[in-house]
Amino acid sequence: MNEPVKLKAKDYKSAVKPIWCPGCGHFSILNALTKAFAALGIAKDDTVLVSGIGCSSRLPAYVDSYGFHGVHGRGLAIAQGLKVARPDLTVIAMGGDGDGFSIGGNHFIHACRRNVNMTYIAMDNEVYGMTKGQASPTTPADWDHSKLTPHGPGVRPFKPAALALAAGAPWIARGYSGNPNQIAKLIAEAIEHPGFSFVQVLSQCITFCPEQTDWKAIVNEREEAPLVDADEAAQLFLHEDGFQTGVLYNAPRATWPPSPPEPQSQDITRGFCL
Amino acid sequence: MSTQPLADFLAHSVELESEARERYLELAQSMAEHHNREVSEFFSRMAEESRLHLEEVAEIAQEHKLPELKAWEFEWPGEESPEATSYEAVHYRMTLRQAMLLALDNERAAEKFYGSFAKTSDDPETRSLAAQFAAEEASHAAQLVKKLGALPPDSAQQLEEDDDPHMPE
Amino acid sequence: MTMTQTELSVAITGAGGAGVISVGELLLQAWAREGGRGLLRKAFGPQIRGGESAALLKLTESERYTAASSYQVLLAFDWNNYSRFGDEIKLAPGCIVFCEEAAEVPAEVMAVKPDLVCLPMKQLAAQAHEEGRVNMLALGLLGQLLGLSEASLSELATQKLAHKPLAYQQAAQACIAAGTGYGLSCDVPVPVPGAKGCWYISGNQAAGLGALEAGIRFVAAYPITPASDVLEWMASPLEQLGGNLVQAEDELAAVNMIIGAAFGGVPAFTATSGPGLALMTESLGLAVASETPITVLNVMRGGPSTGIPTKSEQSDLNIALHGLHGDAPHLVLAPLDIADCVYTSAWAVQLAQQLQTVAIVLSDQFIGQSTAVISEPQRCAALEAAATEDNDYLRYRLTESGISTMATPGDAGLRYTADGLEHNEAGTPSARDDDHQRQLHKREHKLSACSYGDAWARAEGDGELAMVCFGSASAALCEAAELLAEQGVAARTVSLRLLAPLQVERLQAALAGCSSVWVIEQNHGAQLYHYLRGQMDFAMPVHSYARAGPVPLSGAAIVAAMKEATAA
Repeated sequence: MNEPVKLKAKDYKSAVKPIWCPGCGHFSILNALTKAFAALGIAKDDTVLVSGIGCSSRLPAYVDSYGFHGVHGRGLAIAQGLKVARPDLTVIAMGGDGDGFSIGGNHFIHACRRNVNMTYIAMDNEVYGMTKGQASPTTPADWDHSKLTPHGPGVRPFKPAALALAAGAPWIARGYSGNPNQIAKLIAEAIEHPGFSFVQVLSQCITFCPEQTDWKAIVNEREEAPLVDADEAAQLFLHEDGFQTGVLYNAPRATWPPSPPEPQSQDITRGFCL
Repeated sequence: MSTQPLADFLAHSVELESEARERYLELAQSMAEHHNREVSEFFSRMAEESRLHLEEVAEIAQEHKLPELKAWEFEWPGEESPEATSYEAVHYRMTLRQAMLLALDNERAAEKFYGSFAKTSDDPETRSLAAQFAAEEASHAAQLVKKLGALPPDSAQQLEEDDDPHMPE
Repeated sequence: MTMTQTELSVAITGAGGAGVISVGELLLQAWAREGGRGLLRKAFGPQIRGGESAALLKLTESERYTAASSYQVLLAFDWNNYSRFGDEIKLAPGCIVFCEEAAEVPAEVMAVKPDLVCLPMKQLAAQAHEEGRVNMLALGLLGQLLGLSEASLSELATQKLAHKPLAYQQAAQACIAAGTGYGLSCDVPVPVPGAKGCWYISGNQAAGLGALEAGIRFVAAYPITPASDVLEWMASPLEQLGGNLVQAEDELAAVNMIIGAAFGGVPAFTATSGPGLALMTESLGLAVASETPITVLNVMRGGPSTGIPTKSEQSDLNIALHGLHGDAPHLVLAPLDIADCVYTSAWAVQLAQQLQTVAIVLSDQFIGQSTAVISEPQRCAALEAAATEDNDYLRYRLTESGISTMATPGDAGLRYTADGLEHNEAGTPSARDDDHQRQLHKREHKLSACSYGDAWARAEGDGELAMVCFGSASAALCEAAELLAEQGVAARTVSLRLLAPLQVERLQAALAGCSSVWVIEQNHGAQLYHYLRGQMDFAMPVHSYARAGPVPLSGAAIVAAMKEATAA
């Protein structure tokens, strides 16, 4: 619709100052997003960032585009409604692991299933940061730093990539906040991919999970091409340690909705008159 | 005349200094938001230094046609450009000493980066410029070391605070 | 039955897939073609197929449709579990009852001393055609009673069965002929037809139509009884108009999807019932706080909780008015009858769009799932677009009207982030006292300062006694007023179409000079009564008649209750 523009990454940032704790991984994602926008020549006026509630959901305010900061867990629903109604826009939904996999879990699996052409960035720090450090669906079962679950949640965490695959997501990638340039590349590819693109970014929470600095040593970049076969991907996602980064799965399928038919008759009262 | 190695080198140099500056500005802002004035001001000064260096590099680069690379197309030794302070290396209660140590790491990494071009590039102009840049970084490093020497030691509990985290939403 | 006009109520009952409802529909359609007026309601057992069903027709001379108070004709295909309909189908004394055999007629039916017309319907149908079915025979019989032509009934039946095998259609035609030709010796007074060329439409369809005509082009749908038909009807015309319908995974998704679409500048709508509305309340608050225009139709059913899904009630007034947390003023409207669903739905959409807020439209199962014959419905005129000036764009600018310009993604240079968090004029989140007070005032003022015109209520009649209601109770109110008039008591009726913001001054003016006011509603907690008492002062005594579903409101019951109260 528009000519690609020539802006630098920093030009995509708004004047609003992030309230994230220094040391937070989300700074990397903001950085990456702006770099991806610059690389793709994204038009600010045609882009909408949609989020729920949580630290990561604050991100839209820090970008100079349109944005919608919705309620907890419902960002994906807002984003899909928006994209279906306005297919001309670039729509990116984002939120945290609690927002996306707990209260938003149902919308997550249906978004994967529906395959509307949009991008979803889950900033996964394995904790509810904004509400002061409770366990989330991706928190390890033995993490005992929350007063709500003093012995650890004791419940096996979700594997977001496996969930996404089972629900039908055709494009699954993972990044790590220690490598914003890689995240930038993943986001750019996600935006360009026609369909629902899921990017899980392991993003450390310095305040509630200082042990996550250990991630640096475990994270490893995928060298092979993304998997195309769902069975192989299932094997990978169910058994991996969850720290492989890169585009992990890319098996395109038809997006929804299919192109609408041309509007026909405007007379919608015909059926009522006897 | 522009050679490819020189153009590449300059593109990387511009990006390096530019990202260094942007990063220092961001961190300065973040520190100011969290009322760590001393560190915020330090990062602002570092940003200014990067800006000066950036201007210098940009002026040289002006005469050349640089490749337009996407952020992930640059070839850095690590994940980010050498002088970009990692977002995850900071803390709202970090001391000036800790901030300076980070800056020192940056200078040394930049020096090493430029140094490698100075040694291994095929292009003589590149080698010459790279050596010049490396020397600048080395001198900044030396200054930081001196300032660090003048700082009082940090408390072991510096990063601790008595209050619990707050919930804004 | 009123003295001035003839009404004829016909009940058709049967079980096991006998095709009862089809008879009712075809009969009413044929009747309408001749200029007749009437209402068709349906009642069912809990089975999905093959259960007990009843088609309840009320044929009238006016378009004021209350449920039949008693039935003059009953055609029972069988008596399987007939008692299920006991409280709904009150038979008039001397009611004509068509059935197979006299011996099987239940005692409760015999108690009204009916005029039994026993005929071997199964046999007659089989004789007419080997695939002959009783329901088409019944259609013919009833058609004869109403003076309808075989040709007309046959044509409509064939149309309905167009996708069935030829033999099936032929069987239907043969049975209709057998029915219309059968020598009946009974007859009933039949209402006089009016002008032809009417519409045959349900309240749910009418509400969907109104929404589309007002510009809705995005619908999110999650099925729930009794609102699913709104969404199902809308799917096809919406596509015709170039719009989109998304089936959502739950009501939480549905309401948020329409918020997303509306943020994108596309007028958006959904329909649900009580339990769904309850789920949506958090996000309705988001729409109010972010000033995103959406319209939600709530087709009320028996509550609370799962309640009585297939029956009508007016018990969601409280949640519609007060269900959003925080101070979240919004619009609440209620269509007064089936035709009014077209008007009120459109009006709600227009108001929501103009005022950038939430409009909840309270329809109910009674008007939603009843089909009526109506003259072409009155349409809501387009609202004048509010004038806006914006040199320096601020999404939530404090203006005199309270309405600020809403930019849409794609608009150059007007970027903003909409937020449920309280915010300043620019939309930046704010916890400041001044921002909060001002934005609260803005969101309230834009509603209260708006001029809603005369459509706020339908106020009719004169007299010292006033009856006030909202939504579909209107017909029962008017019926009550007629009964009172026959008894020499003048009464005025005020049927509220706009419930929030409540037009207090206008209501007070409408009630000026009354010595007594009755608030009539179909719920247990007297929700409207308490709302009005809380919102305004009354210069006269106010009484409450509040009766929950599932039995529809009736003028006679209202009058009886008022009498009893005055006698006490």
